[in-house]
Amino acid sequence: MNWRLRVVHTTGYRYATAVTQSYNEARLTPRHDDRQNLMVARLETIPPARAYKYTDYWGTEVNSFDLHSPHTELKVIAASVVETSDQPPPSAEVTWVQLKSADVLDTYAEYLEWTTYVPKHRELSAVARSLRRGRSPQETVLAVSKWVHDTLKYQRGTTGVHSSAVDAWQAGEGVCQDYAHLTLAMLRAVGVPSRYVSGYLHTKPDAAVGETVVGESHAWVEAWTGEWWGFDPTNDISIGHRHVWVATGRDYADVSPLKGIYSGEAATAIEVTVDMTRLA
Amino acid sequence: MSRASSRQLFDGYLDPRRPHAGAYDEMFDPVDGVRTAYKRLHDSLQPLQPADLTTRSEALDRALVDQGITFSLSGEERPFPLDLVPRVITASEWSRLERGVVQRVRALEAFLADIYGEQQIVADGVLPRRLITSCEHFHRQAAGIAPPNGVRIHVAGIDVVRDEQGDFRVLEDNLRSPSGVSYVMENRRTMARVFPDLFAKHRVRAVGDYAVHLLRSLRAAAPGVTDPNVVVLTPGVYNSAYFEHSLLARQMGVELVEGRDLLARNNVIYLRTTEGEQRVDVIYRRIDDEFLDPVQFVPDSVLGVAGLVNAARAGNVVIANAIGNGVGDDKLIYTYLPEILKYYLGETPLLPNVDTYRCWLPAEHAEVLDRLDELVTKPVEGSGGYGIVFGPDASPKELQAQRRRIRANPRGWIAQPVVQLSTVPTKVGERLQPRHVDLRPFAVNDGEDVFVLPGGLTRVAIPEGSLIVNSSQGGGSKDTWVLAPRASGEDAELRGPGLGTPAVKPESTPEQGPELNAAQQQQQQ
Repeated sequence: MNWRLRVVHTTGYRYATAVTQSYNEARLTPRHDDRQNLMVARLETIPPARAYKYTDYWGTEVNSFDLHSPHTELKVIAASVVETSDQPPPSAEVTWVQLKSADVLDTYAEYLEWTTYVPKHRELSAVARSLRRGRSPQETVLAVSKWVHDTLKYQRGTTGVHSSAVDAWQAGEGVCQDYAHLTLAMLRAVGVPSRYVSGYLHTKPDAAVGETVVGESHAWVEAWTGEWWGFDPTNDISIGHRHVWVATGRDYADVSPLKGIYSGEAATAIEVTVDMTRLA
Repeated sequence: MSRASSRQLFDGYLDPRRPHAGAYDEMFDPVDGVRTAYKRLHDSLQPLQPADLTTRSEALDRALVDQGITFSLSGEERPFPLDLVPRVITASEWSRLERGVVQRVRALEAFLADIYGEQQIVADGVLPRRLITSCEHFHRQAAGIAPPNGVRIHVAGIDVVRDEQGDFRVLEDNLRSPSGVSYVMENRRTMARVFPDLFAKHRVRAVGDYAVHLLRSLRAAAPGVTDPNVVVLTPGVYNSAYFEHSLLARQMGVELVEGRDLLARNNVIYLRTTEGEQRVDVIYRRIDDEFLDPVQFVPDSVLGVAGLVNAARAGNVVIANAIGNGVGDDKLIYTYLPEILKYYLGETPLLPNVDTYRCWLPAEHAEVLDRLDELVTKPVEGSGGYGIVFGPDASPKELQAQRRRIRANPRGWIAQPVVQLSTVPTKVGERLQPRHVDLRPFAVNDGEDVFVLPGGLTRVAIPEGSLIVNSSQGGGSKDTWVLAPRASGEDAELRGPGLGTPAVKPESTPEQGPELNAAQQQQQQ
């Protein structure tokens, strides 16, 4: 199925006292690939600022902007129109022996290493190894995703942006970011190169054309088992026309949607809204 | 009479029972006696009585204390005591060394451009990707930043040692913020005040114009402006190299600034001054990458400038040295220098490395752990001698701890056989004794030429038998004399009008009395 989707993502900060200076980077522009066609993308800020665009090491489009007049709220609105389709099932498949080859270990080294969000954990690794038994690498990705889906309870607001895969697992609950990190920790434990994907999910499978729904900032994973392919452990579904991807990286830190530095007192995040409209 | 005193001064100098007796002594050949390079220096020193040596040394100390006033005013302690015997390098030795340093800088420039660009060397299978991605100073934030004139290594400090055969070998490359050049200039200034007579007998190449070369390189790096504004960015007065930062800024005639003096707006960097904001084109920074821009690195750092990295990415300012150069001076990547030289320049190294084991290769890892007690193990990143373990000097307990550290992080360690660094006569008590030295020549790249300052920082290990020249281990320094070629018109130190005697009297016997008086008089001025 092919959809055309408009995404309007609003995020930002509110400050206790006026901020006179802030420097920010937004990673909010959907990418372009075989499954997804970016038709138009625009970034607007309030107060207005001139954005400087560049492509970072991971291939993500970054909008960088700075503000120099006093403001008590920063609002960032990223709007885009994308055409999406369903991801075909992965065609190439490698064996466990091939995944251990020097070539694969070298080429995908960054996607096999531990990070702050995706730390090594003995018990989790043992679970991952037991799930691998009798399965191919591809089947293992699905089995691990299902295990994560069944193990964590989806709980909005329970974990901050600073919690790791292990924190979420020990708490038994989390949001899509935690589902993704936990899946990565287990896949890397059994030697499957895997990466974090940030993006959006349209929440209504039977949406009518022209209907606007409340979407979500979302995260899922991609694994390399001969080629890169994605899976959504939060919902235990494959990647389809309702998924819009923005960035990939080793973990959340490589793709954080909005980060910056400002001078002033404490900031609170404003309510994030993602409006998604099916256009075709 | 001079024979007797000579025996005293150099008494037991080449004692075969001394530690590391196999080391190359730069003054004495064990068979042929005094080497040509040191002939005149030796002839000047030989007639000295031990008491004369002490007088000279005291004159030197006074000169240092004199300058030390400047140092203590700027909050700097002088870490390297200056030894009175200079280290001499002949014109032909220097020419070989210089070519090797230039070659290395050129290859590392090409390497850094590639690593922060297309990574062709990885795509071509010459270097493993993991070698790069696992490097602590491979900064992904710098990917895609292309400096206007292509230079990333504006200043390099290439540490070299002389092995048992007297051949120069590179011990490590320093491509981030190599420091020490102020000692090179200050040591020379002090020596010229205290020993004008020695300079009159040698054609020593000048080092005082370093800042001219540095400024030329920084101006050449600027993004398409006719009269670029260059600043020196320092972490502040509490930094141990603050004296050097202020000296270089003063000599170049540019502003010395801290992060809070600079401001980024719309990817342009401005200097706040009493006359308003001034656009800045080139920043010679002496702040580590991690503290340079809180947007990209350590978010709570106040030393740097928010927005600086993207201003450089946008091509509006040049950061010198470039961000992420540490990938080029990682000590594991150092072991691949022959491959890097061959790939980019199609050349073989003019200066060999010291033989090095790579703990991250399983075969070499095992050998290192087997021979830990005879090898020197070093962390791949960092400088200043931190973390280095000398196998032969380590206790079994220390070796065990080191073994654990290497096992836990094989990528983090390399190992080398103990190199018996060359020795140079050094004043110890009332005699001259062989003490081990290394050398850090400084290279400056302006995009057209790589200039190597004829001299460099010679560090000397003072304790007998010590091979560790770091100041924290009681190291000192020596003035490094690069001799001008016999037929050259190169400017030699103290040749200018009004400085010493221009005429050379090669065979004259040094006279002691008047010269010491001259030195003492200068102290009183």
